[in-house]
Amino acid sequence: MATAAEQWVLVEMVQALYEAPAYHLILEGILILWIIRLLFSKTYKLQERSDLTVKEKEELIEEWQPEPLVPPISKDHPALNYNVVSGPPSHNIVVNGKKCVNFASFNFLGLLDNPRVKAAALASLKKYGVGTCGPRGFYGTFDVHLDLEDRLAKFMKTEEAIIYSYGFATIASAIPAYSKRGDIVFVDRAACFAIQKGLQASRSDIKLFQHNDMADLERLLKEQEMEDQKNPRKARVTRRFIVVEGLYMNTGTICPLPELVKLKYKYKARIFLEESLSFGVLGEYGRGVTEHFGISIDDIDLISANMENSLASIGGFCCGRSFVIDHQRLSGQGYCFSASLPPLLAAAAIEALNIMEENPGIFLVLKEKCARIHKALQGISGLKVVGESLSPAFHLQLTDSTGSRDKDVQLLQEIVKHCMDRSIALTQARYLEKEEKCLPPPRRRTGESRAHDQGGGPGCAAVGRVLGPDGRLPRGTRTGLWSLPCDLGEACVYLEGGHRAAWVWTAPNHEEDAGYF
Amino acid sequence: MELSPHGLSAFRGLLRLRIKAAELPGGVGESRASHPEGFGWCEGAGKWCDLSLLCCLFAEQRQERGGRMNVGTAHSEVNPNTRVMNSRGIWLSYVLAIGLLHVVLLSIPFVSVPVVWTLTNLIHNTGMYIFLHTVKGTPFETPDQGKARLLTHWEQMDYGVQFTASRKFLTITPIVLYFLTSFYTKYDQIHFVLNTVSLMSVLIPKLPQLHGVRIFGINKY
Repeated sequence: MATAAEQWVLVEMVQALYEAPAYHLILEGILILWIIRLLFSKTYKLQERSDLTVKEKEELIEEWQPEPLVPPISKDHPALNYNVVSGPPSHNIVVNGKKCVNFASFNFLGLLDNPRVKAAALASLKKYGVGTCGPRGFYGTFDVHLDLEDRLAKFMKTEEAIIYSYGFATIASAIPAYSKRGDIVFVDRAACFAIQKGLQASRSDIKLFQHNDMADLERLLKEQEMEDQKNPRKARVTRRFIVVEGLYMNTGTICPLPELVKLKYKYKARIFLEESLSFGVLGEYGRGVTEHFGISIDDIDLISANMENSLASIGGFCCGRSFVIDHQRLSGQGYCFSASLPPLLAAAAIEALNIMEENPGIFLVLKEKCARIHKALQGISGLKVVGESLSPAFHLQLTDSTGSRDKDVQLLQEIVKHCMDRSIALTQARYLEKEEKCLPPPRRRTGESRAHDQGGGPGCAAVGRVLGPDGRLPRGTRTGLWSLPCDLGEACVYLEGGHRAAWVWTAPNHEEDAGYF
Repeated sequence: MELSPHGLSAFRGLLRLRIKAAELPGGVGESRASHPEGFGWCEGAGKWCDLSLLCCLFAEQRQERGGRMNVGTAHSEVNPNTRVMNSRGIWLSYVLAIGLLHVVLLSIPFVSVPVVWTLTNLIHNTGMYIFLHTVKGTPFETPDQGKARLLTHWEQMDYGVQFTASRKFLTITPIVLYFLTSFYTKYDQIHFVLNTVSLMSVLIPKLPQLHGVRIFGINKY
């Protein structure tokens, strides 16, 4: 093995030790001292050194007063005075025992009490029972789930779709699955609360741009590009996302998707499109805002929607390319750690999809009705319509605020109550005031629900308008109202004399729905 | 080899008088708290350097440490990278791996023993530098949204707590290897230069002052 000169006889080695050069032995001595120091050093956390003395800590503890578990709130808090609905919230809704025309639910296609959907749900209930009792990974995957995912992917013409069991959790789980610390998300100011929670959970850098303002977004993207040029190595590991909604819940407007796609390719960001309100509403066949603008669905990296509006089911889905959606099967927190969608709801959603695919004409009917309602609601003094004419969900906002948010909320509440007394169910748009990033002004929300039945059944939409000069309610004034029978069941009445009131409804049996105030 | 808790406390009992609790290497705090009498009454006894006590303490730590890392199960460890070097049997495996490397190098014909030792030292230190101080992040997704994405394994160990048992072990091993290498190369000059440079490249990144430091922006992102 070794030559004779290099035999490692122990004696020779020890001799070499005695003849070792001094620097080497000194270094070894230092290293031995280093080892001893190491063995006796305490563990410590690097940032944990607190600069408070023991006395200061004691003082702080003395000063602390616990807050009450239940903070004092007024009796008028909306959470304490809620309306109780009995029966299904379809075209007519029974609120607090009173039958009203439903303008508060997002039952856009009227599929909520569709007999086919109900039959499919019942059949599934008899077959599977009610719940799944397990997340998707632990025996919670049923054939109806796979079926629904398949159908949704085919309907939206994407490669794959994934189902969540709660609509809010869909986008709130999808965003943090892809966007992590250090990534950048450009998001619209008017993004809904679910998106905001998803962004918060993602711990990424959020950059807000003005609502639907592509110039502002481009400015932000340009700034980011300049920063990237200064630090290309950091830019290479930073992911950029743009999160927009197809139809914004908070403003009823549609996002300018063609410009967004152009910006996406110019600045290399990925688009996450939240289509909760536009799925089943926009587009020729209800495929959402991509179909509305004629954009190829492959340009959008992820589409997320909840099935609680047009599909009249519960839950949500995301669809897109396979390699994008597959990632959520392990990283989507709402997917992995929640029980899966009850099979009866999945079956109901499949049947609703069937109906949507068989009758593509309902989307046109919905659009027409939306346009009509929007037109009819223009020109109310004191309230302005916020939202596009295509949007089935829009807001009625006070044109002049009274000055304080609470007063505005109260006034709107009175308006809502007044409408309820006249059998029109409206709702105020509610926000968690302390949690919203950009709190929208108080407004009343109207959800148009359109039913399409072949025989001209009770497709009914009625809108009550309460007016008064300066937005005050008319009290004690007798105002009359007439209904005009008409073939289409449409009637529009105006009453002069200081108060303008208009009822617009399309109903065959309008006598029942006539309102007086 | 398992030390039973009884044997341990009996042994500890013999050494109680010589210990000042606060001076001891950390990581044993849990066992201290669990000891019924505590060490409060030992103040003034002074720090005492007892090698057998240290062995006993390390063995205790090893008992608490071993088997905590659950791979592939629903565990609550946010970043398992932090606990890898504390798992049961990993220290022994590591030492055996160095031994294996050495034996493999020794089997190469026409290579002399000092060269083999220097090679062992260099290869070991290079490997340690790459795996502990170059590669960043985790090979799996962590539920903390990528907190450790820019941290090397050394910085991730024990969530950044300095001077834990594993960190000390990983610092001492290259030094011991260096001693052996110096001995077997008969303190030759060229070997000295190579081995010392290699040792410094492995010791300096382990200093707590260099936690998270990237010199000249190398390896920053």
